[in-house]
Parts: sequence; structure tokens; C-alpha cells
Amino acid sequence: MLQLQNVHTYYGNIHALKGISLEINQGEIVTLIGSNGAGKSTTLRTISGITPPRTGQVLFEGKTLNSVPAHKIVSQGISQSPEGRRIFANLTVRENLEMGAFTRNDKAEIASDMDRVFELFPRLKERVAQRGGTLSGGEQQMLAIGRALMSRPRLLLLDEPSMGLAPVLVDLIFEIIQNINNQGTTILVVEQNALMALGIAHRAYVLQTGVIVKAGDAATLREDEDVQKAYLGME
Amino acid sequence: MPNTKRYLTTGGVGFAVGTFFLWNYPNLGLGAALLGGLVIAALCLLYSAPLPDMIKAGLIAGMFGAVMTIVYGTHKPGVAIIAGMLSGLGAGLLAFQRSPQANPKKAAILGAEAGAIAGAWTGLALFVMAFVIAPAAGISAGDFAEHLSETVILADTLGLGSDILILLFAFGFSTLTGALLGAAACAARSLPLRPNIPLLAVIALPVLLIPLIDRAGNLLLLDALIPIYIFILLALGLNIVVGYAGLLDLGYAAFFAIGAYTTAMLSSPHLGINLSFWLVIWVAAAVAAIAGLTLGAPTLPLRGDYLAIVTLGFGEIVPILFRSLGGGPPGGTLTLRFFGMPIGIEQVDLTGGNKGINPISPPHLPLIGDFEPSNKIPWYYLLIVIMGLAIFFINRLRDSRQGRAWMAMREDELAADAMGINVVRTKLLAFSMGAMFSGFGGAFYGAFIGAIFPSSFDFSVSIILLCMVILGGLGNMTGVIVGGLLIQGADKMFIPKGAELFRRIAETKARAEDTSTVGVSALQDLTQQRLLLFGIVLVVMMLVRPEGLLPNERRKAELHPDDDTINSNSVAAEAEADPSLAA
Repeated sequence: MLQLQNVHTYYGNIHALKGISLEINQGEIVTLIGSNGAGKSTTLRTISGITPPRTGQVLFEGKTLNSVPAHKIVSQGISQSPEGRRIFANLTVRENLEMGAFTRNDKAEIASDMDRVFELFPRLKERVAQRGGTLSGGEQQMLAIGRALMSRPRLLLLDEPSMGLAPVLVDLIFEIIQNINNQGTTILVVEQNALMALGIAHRAYVLQTGVIVKAGDAATLREDEDVQKAYLGME
Repeated sequence: MPNTKRYLTTGGVGFAVGTFFLWNYPNLGLGAALLGGLVIAALCLLYSAPLPDMIKAGLIAGMFGAVMTIVYGTHKPGVAIIAGMLSGLGAGLLAFQRSPQANPKKAAILGAEAGAIAGAWTGLALFVMAFVIAPAAGISAGDFAEHLSETVILADTLGLGSDILILLFAFGFSTLTGALLGAAACAARSLPLRPNIPLLAVIALPVLLIPLIDRAGNLLLLDALIPIYIFILLALGLNIVVGYAGLLDLGYAAFFAIGAYTTAMLSSPHLGINLSFWLVIWVAAAVAAIAGLTLGAPTLPLRGDYLAIVTLGFGEIVPILFRSLGGGPPGGTLTLRFFGMPIGIEQVDLTGGNKGINPISPPHLPLIGDFEPSNKIPWYYLLIVIMGLAIFFINRLRDSRQGRAWMAMREDELAADAMGINVVRTKLLAFSMGAMFSGFGGAFYGAFIGAIFPSSFDFSVSIILLCMVILGGLGNMTGVIVGGLLIQGADKMFIPKGAELFRRIAETKARAEDTSTVGVSALQDLTQQRLLLFGIVLVVMMLVRPEGLLPNERRKAELHPDDDTINSNSVAAEAEADPSLAA
């Protein structure tokens, strides 16, 4: 579904991604783990067009995304819950979700998608008229994911969904991510919480300073000694 | 009574405004009503008055007008009385809109109450006017009472001799008519009307009737009102850029200048091109919109302070450009050069330099002919049409997809991008739409004044416009209009008239003390203090109510985060789940 072929991305002169190649198949949850500054978020930004690659190819369903501007990526079927959630703090929950469906025109379908989001996140339904900024951290994360779902993406990109959340909520969020995937959306999730991410993902890539150092089945990587040592805090 | 303070303040300010107007325009009923009403309504919103108070405010405003008009409509009593009645009725309908469920009897009582309050204030205003202010400025109470012709005629018929009795009668008369009209207006709430219509009528009727009242009373109000409206039109355009899209523009007057100069160049003998105003106004708007794109394109990556500086520069450059396109010093030659090579035209005089362009052709309509400078009524209605269209269009724009894109961009540019919003297009469109309305304003301004000068478009214009938008309420059109009326009204009506009143009082005092120095110092001359006054008002506003008089709901939320009902349940739930968060 999505392929990155030898992608190099720069921030000015800083060489952030040094030749990343990865692949996501229809229906999968793929996770990208790695420590701070490994290039996880940059990979997402590269896919979503915010920081386009300098060389290499990003292919989505066989078509290149290299020169597609960020705002057009959404209508191609990829949507993103960005790093730091970036919900619209002064808009209500409903308005935030409506913004997520900005590229769409089918009112009835949008309404049914919103119901679907409320089914996934009953908490959001309770707070539908509340301003985004007044939600708790967990609810904001739910809103960010819900908002990304509103464009009805075939591929959902999640950037650190567990960031700053209490362990109970992390469990809940990951459960919901799995639900979304079960309903047919392919997901790429970037996580520092490698244990959780490997728990729900089918496959995983380990990123280190802009290079992929390991790839494989999530279950296999979870047993991998190096991964355990570096990212799972096990000796 | 918890609302006593509110009533005292609103009544007091309405009273002051009414008194002031009584002084300066003894013939004026509706104008006083409108201004008094506006001030009262603004104050009520300032106190976030609950619904019944709003109803009362609307009624007080309307009754104020009705009573004042009946009492002071000296020249053409018929027109004045009708105008007053309409204003009273309008207030009642406004009340209907505010609370459609209230029962008619209760409403009538409420209306009578409000009307009586308004009437009593008016009566009190009369007394203060007659016995305090008029004597201070060298006019006897008796002379003042002569102004109250309607009342005087009525009082004469009743055989009331003395001035005090006449004034007492006026007091009672105001209270009574106020109560009656209030009740009548409120009873009108049971009329089966769509909620929007009463509000529209309340706003539209006085606006449309002003020229008639003005002519009837020979008040020369239009001379002040037309420039005020032009500035409001400009502020509405600026509100798109600053209020909706969140792009701080400190050089907005540049687009005003571009609109005006386009009109002047294409519709005057100056360059020998004399196109019809009806064509040129569109050209001016289009040129201004393109200029908006020109400013927008290079500033795309800039936000906040940086953008403000660039727009400030743009605002400075444009008038200078128009000044220098005037062909250089007399006798000298200005040659356009490109990399040192002279190109074509020598001694160009496109804009008349400092002298500006004069005259500019007025609009022409088949039945009316050329719009004359002496007859402001066609100008007034033309401007009303332009503004009506602008308000309608901007309203639709705000509620459209484009409006939502602006909102998202203002909130968070990156997130907007991630939602699939084309931020570049959204930004450019905000700049060009905003500029377009100021192009219309500039075109009308040029034709109306009949001459333009580069000095009419300097930095202070941009700043005053920004003040109007901020004072009224960033991002809220009604707020911007109210802010514009207040600032421009103060600038063009209250302050000059107030200055005159102060001058007369000072002169009377000087004569009484037999000092030879008649006249006032600069400190006493209010017109010279206007910027100081605006400054003080703005500083106080920013401290007390940074979101403006009639805020956009979202802006209010941004500026008063503490007022939010923070979702304590979920915070508590999370704290429970993770004890470290509770700390």
C-alpha cells in the first residue's frame, strides 16, 4: 500500500533520514520505534508531505507522493494525527471533528463517520460542545485520532499516541487503535513506548539516527535481545 | 436589587449622551436615540446582562429615541414623531426577538417599566440641561425651554406659565409617553414574525430614515456619517484579514489608497481617462485585491510580529509611491530608469504628487444625474447599498468552507495543513478579500470627496482602523460596526461638538470673571486631545476587556481561559489512574 524507497529527508542542512526503505501492506498495523531524534516523526512528516524527501520515492498505492503538497495528501487517503496532537484548542470537539472532514462534501456520510468516531470514543460524545483545549490529555489524544479518522483515510498515521498519558489511558488508546485497524484502516504508528507498540503491531521497524537498523514481525522483534535491551528496558 | 448598578450605569451614560445631544442638536431626536441606544446596548453587553436586561436595554434605547423625538422634533414634528414611534416599535420587536416565549401581558408591563425609565432619564436630562449646562454656557433656562416646541405648545394649551412648570410637564410627558410606547412595543411581540426580521427592521429602519430626518431638521448629519460609514466598510475588510484569518496587518490603509487612486486616475480629467464610476469601482476593487495578493505572496511564511512589520512597511511605501509618481519637483524632470537606462516616459505625472488629484468625477445615474457634492442623500444611499452588499457577502464568506479554513488557519497553521486545507491559498484569499473591500471603500471615498491627497492614507488611518476592529471585537462583524461607530463617531461628531461646548462654557466663565483672555488653551481644546483620548480608551479596554465590546465567542474563550468549565471529572479520573499526575 505504502512504500518508501531509499528516502533521504533534510531539515535545511541536517540529514534527518538517511535512506529509509519500508513498506506497509493493506490492513496492517506497522510500528516505527526508536529513541528520541531517531527520525520517527520525520518519517511521518515525509509521508504526509510536510517535509518532502530530497531524494528517494514515497509511493502510495503505486503512485508517487513526492511532489504532492501536504494539503492534497489528505484527499489521497492518508491522514495524520500529528505530533503533540495539535487539536484546535478553541474549537469545540464537534468543530474539531468537522475540520477533520474538511476535504469532504458528503454531509450524510460525514455525519455517519462522526457517529462512528463517537462509538470508538464515547468520551468525546459526552464532551461534544466543549472546547478542545479544555479536554484532558487523554481526551485530546482521542480527539486527534478521531479528527484524523474524519477524512476517512485508508492509511492512518499516528505520531506518539501515548505521549504524556497515564498508563491506564495508554492501554485504552492502544485498544482503540486495534479496533480501528480491525474495522479496515491500515495504520502506521510511531511510538517511544515500544512495548505497547510491539504489542499491537503486526510488523515493526527500528529506527536509529535516520537509518532502519532492524525490521520484522512485531512478535519476533519483541523477543530480540538488542531490542529488549535498547527499547524495552530489559536486561 | 442586584441589577441596580447596571441600570444606574447604563441609564447614566444614556443620560449623558442624551444631554450632550440635546445641547448640540436641539432639533435632533433620532440621532440622540440611536447614539444613546447604541451606548446603552454596548454597555449592557459589557456587563453581559441577562436576557430581561437586554430587553430592557433595547426598550430603553428605543424609548429614549421615541420620547426625545417627540419632545425635540421642532422643525418637522410629523416626521420626527413617526421616526420616534418606529424606533420605539423597533425596540419592542427587538425585545420580541430576545425572548419570544414571554407572554404579552408581562411583556407590556416590562415595556411600560422600561419606557418609564427611559422617559424619566430624558426628563432628568432636560433639567440638568436647562439649569446647569445651559446657564454655564450663557443661555438662560427660559431660552432653552423655547427649544421644546412640541412640549411648549402642549404646555401652553394647558396654560402652564413658568419655565419650571414647562420642564416639569416635559418630564411627566416623557415618562408617560415612554411607558405607553414601551407597553405598545412590547405587546407587538406577539406578532407572528420570523425572529430575524425584527432585528433587521430595528437596524435598517433608522439607518434608512436618517437622510429624511436630517433633511427635515437640517442637521447636516450626513457630512459626518458618510465618512464614518466609509471607515466602517474599511474596518469590515480589515476584520477579514485580522479577525478571521488572524494575520496582523498594520498597513491596511495602503489598499484604501490603492482603491482611491485607481478611481482618481481612471475617472478624472487628470490623465484624460474619464470612465464611469460604476465601472471604475469594480476596477478599483480588483486592483486592490491584486495588490492584496502582491502583499500576501512574499509574506506567506511570516506570522505575528514579523508579518506586522512587513505590512507596516507596505503601508508606508504605498502613499510614498503615489507621492513620487507625481512627476518630481516643479521644473525638474523625473526619468524612470531601469539599471541606469532611461526608459520611455519622462516627466511622468500619474498621481499629482503632493497636490493629489482634483477633481474626480462623481457617479451618474439616469434619474438623478451627477451626484452633487451639495446633496448628500444619493451618496448616503449608494454607500448603504455598498455596505449592505459587503456585509451580506462577508457574512456568507465567514460561514463558508473558506471561512472555516480561515478559522483553522488562525488556530493552528500546521494542523490546518494536516486537515487538507491549502494554507497558501487560504492566506492569499484573506489578503485579497480584505483588500478588495477597502478598494470599494477607496473608490467611493475618492468620488465622494472629489479629490485625493497622499496624506489622507498615512499610518494613522491603518491604526484607527485597527482600533475600530479591536475595540468592537475582533472577528465579529457587529462588534466591528459598533466599534467603528464609537471611534469614528467620537472622532467626527462627539469630540468636535464637545470641544465647542467646553469652549462656550470657558468663555462664559471668563466673561463672568471679566478676564481679558477669552478663548481656551490647547489643553482645554478637546479636538487636540483626540488621539490621547483614543489611547486612554484602548489601554483601558485592553486591560478590562481585551476581547472587545462585542467579542467573537472564540476570541473571548482564548483571552479568558479561566472561565472555562474545566472538565474536572476527566482530570480527576486520570489523576486517579496515575498518582503522579495529581501533584
